[in-house]
Amino acid sequence: MNIILLLPAIFLLCLVFFIPLLRYFWLSLHAYSVSTGLELIPNGGVNWLRLLEDDRFWITTFQTVRFACVSVSVEVVLAIFIALLLDQKFKGIGIARALTLLPWALPTTIMALCWRWIFNTPNGPIERLISLVSNEPLNILSDPHLAWLATVLADIWKTTPFIALILLAGLQTISKDLYEAFRLEGGGKLQAFFTITLPLLRPYLLISLMFRLAQSFGVFDLIQILTGGGPAGSTESVATYAYINAMRFLDFGYSSTIILGGFIVLLLLSLFAMVFYVYSRKIFISKL
Amino acid sequence: MIYPLIIFISIAYSAWSFTHKPIDINILMPAPFADSTSTIVDQYNHENKGKVHINVTRGPLETEAVSDLAISSLLLGASPFDIILIDVTWLPKYAEAGWISSLDKYIDIEEWNSLISGAQDGNSYKGNIYRWPLVADMGLLYWRSDLMKEPPQTPNQLLEISRNLVQDNQVEYGYVWQGRQYEGLSCVFLEVLHAFGGEWLDDNNHVKLSSNESIEAAKWLRKLIKVGASPKAVTNFAETEALQVFESGQAAFMRNWPYAWSELQKDSSQVKGKVGLTLMVSEQGRPSASTLGSWGLSILQNSHNKKAAYQVIRYLTSQASQKKLFTDYGYTPTSEKLFDDVQLISKLSILPELKRALSVVQARPMTPLYAQISNVLQVELSSILTANKPAEDAMRLAKDKTKRIILSSGS
Repeated sequence: MNIILLLPAIFLLCLVFFIPLLRYFWLSLHAYSVSTGLELIPNGGVNWLRLLEDDRFWITTFQTVRFACVSVSVEVVLAIFIALLLDQKFKGIGIARALTLLPWALPTTIMALCWRWIFNTPNGPIERLISLVSNEPLNILSDPHLAWLATVLADIWKTTPFIALILLAGLQTISKDLYEAFRLEGGGKLQAFFTITLPLLRPYLLISLMFRLAQSFGVFDLIQILTGGGPAGSTESVATYAYINAMRFLDFGYSSTIILGGFIVLLLLSLFAMVFYVYSRKIFISKL
Repeated sequence: MIYPLIIFISIAYSAWSFTHKPIDINILMPAPFADSTSTIVDQYNHENKGKVHINVTRGPLETEAVSDLAISSLLLGASPFDIILIDVTWLPKYAEAGWISSLDKYIDIEEWNSLISGAQDGNSYKGNIYRWPLVADMGLLYWRSDLMKEPPQTPNQLLEISRNLVQDNQVEYGYVWQGRQYEGLSCVFLEVLHAFGGEWLDDNNHVKLSSNESIEAAKWLRKLIKVGASPKAVTNFAETEALQVFESGQAAFMRNWPYAWSELQKDSSQVKGKVGLTLMVSEQGRPSASTLGSWGLSILQNSHNKKAAYQVIRYLTSQASQKKLFTDYGYTPTSEKLFDDVQLISKLSILPELKRALSVVQARPMTPLYAQISNVLQVELSSILTANKPAEDAMRLAKDKTKRIILSSGS
């Protein structure tokens, strides 16, 4: 009986997840590009060998992992602060919560266009501010070291509210009695945060970490509009690389391989996050 | 008795209306083209009422987004379009994929030969014509006539004049161009490459990117930034950014397409009446080169009304239409005769200069792999300009990668 009730969910999952994945896998075993006249020709895993030897795929993967790890870590730390703030009782809390969510509600494409203007040299507001103190413009989007930080900053601005929202929901499940008891026992506020709040937030942290890791690993629209993958390919992500292979180069076989390669890396990354989660439990318990 | 009659009449009526239904010709165009051709399309629809009706789908603004839209629909096999307006670089790819139809059997060779030679380029693939040009397009050098008497002729002059003007605080930036990592950078480089006597691919598809001339060309672009003849910000400029800076009077030179001319003549432009345009600079004794842009109309393979579609194409590209598009929107004509039209020249004095540029156009490599090889070049050039990669290393890498792409495709 239970299985029957699960069937719709399984069906849906197959439809939107397993079938596309299998199709990608099947395509990745074929030459399927403009050079083959868009005919499917089995090529016995040549795409996969090419992926292993493709420097650009590995550089792109490194850049994507770096982007995902840096932006998600900063977002989580910031989101904890924001969630704690929004959990307080003060006048206008409803408005404050709504305002915090605003960046999350904006479409990424529009937001990315705005950031492109903000980071623009010579007329963007940041460069204008810099020009007050220095004669040398920063050329943010023209500098490979700064451009990727710009993409991280734009991502943090946009998605921190999302994590804050999840964490806020988590905070509200923690009973106030716990804090009361802790205070009566003579514990300080900071101590309470580390012994009560953080351990009890762990499941919520895991959820947001998983969500955000997967999402930032697939980053596409932000990069495509803000930098187009440049300068010098320094902001290219796995998704934009797969995209140009499919839509610009019309090489669908290899593009599918890139997507699957990225998928495997993401699985490993998520696995790492899970291990970290289990391990963090040990740390907290040993503290108690 | 009455029922059979009603049935008969309704069948007859539907048969009549079916056969007399106007043929629909659906065209996909980037938004700016859809807007500029709208009055011509309306006029056609008015003249051909009940026979042929053109529906224009207003595509996205950005060039590549239009390609994405077209490709998505073509991949699904049943594209709703009969005609698409395509960029010169898409043609080999679309032709090789079998998406567009050869126009050879419709073309009157005399009509074709009435096109100016620069406009005839970039429409053929493997000996067949696939596209009729709507607008000719090529890279030009814009210069400020209030800052100098004559435009520079050689790369060195361009660099020196720009640097001096910046140092004398006459302008904030010297020479602005398209240095962002995207197709525009390949277009800029192709011109500089030929200015130094280099080549991208030779006639036998051999990659020439690591030749001395190519390295010299790449170094010159970097030098522009190093010595302050161009701002470092150009490495994130596309056409729009370059135009904005030039239009506001902040720059002395700009590399751009002909469309910029009409923008610079608007009242909002700070340099109205102070701009000249000329060919891209080149080393002494070498001809200038101008990258061939151009948009043209192609008929899709799965269109059911190819003949009507061809009539529509010829209407949209007729001399009358070209005149209108040139005077109203500054679209460069494609018909040779119009370049010598005294009336047109009196309206827009740049016409002879455009003709001169069209005589030195260089097409980007006509291969279905173009997007790949251009992407390789863009990334390497961007590394030279922004990441201080030595030009020798970057160009050799660009050559090796390009070679591999060509080899692995089997062509």
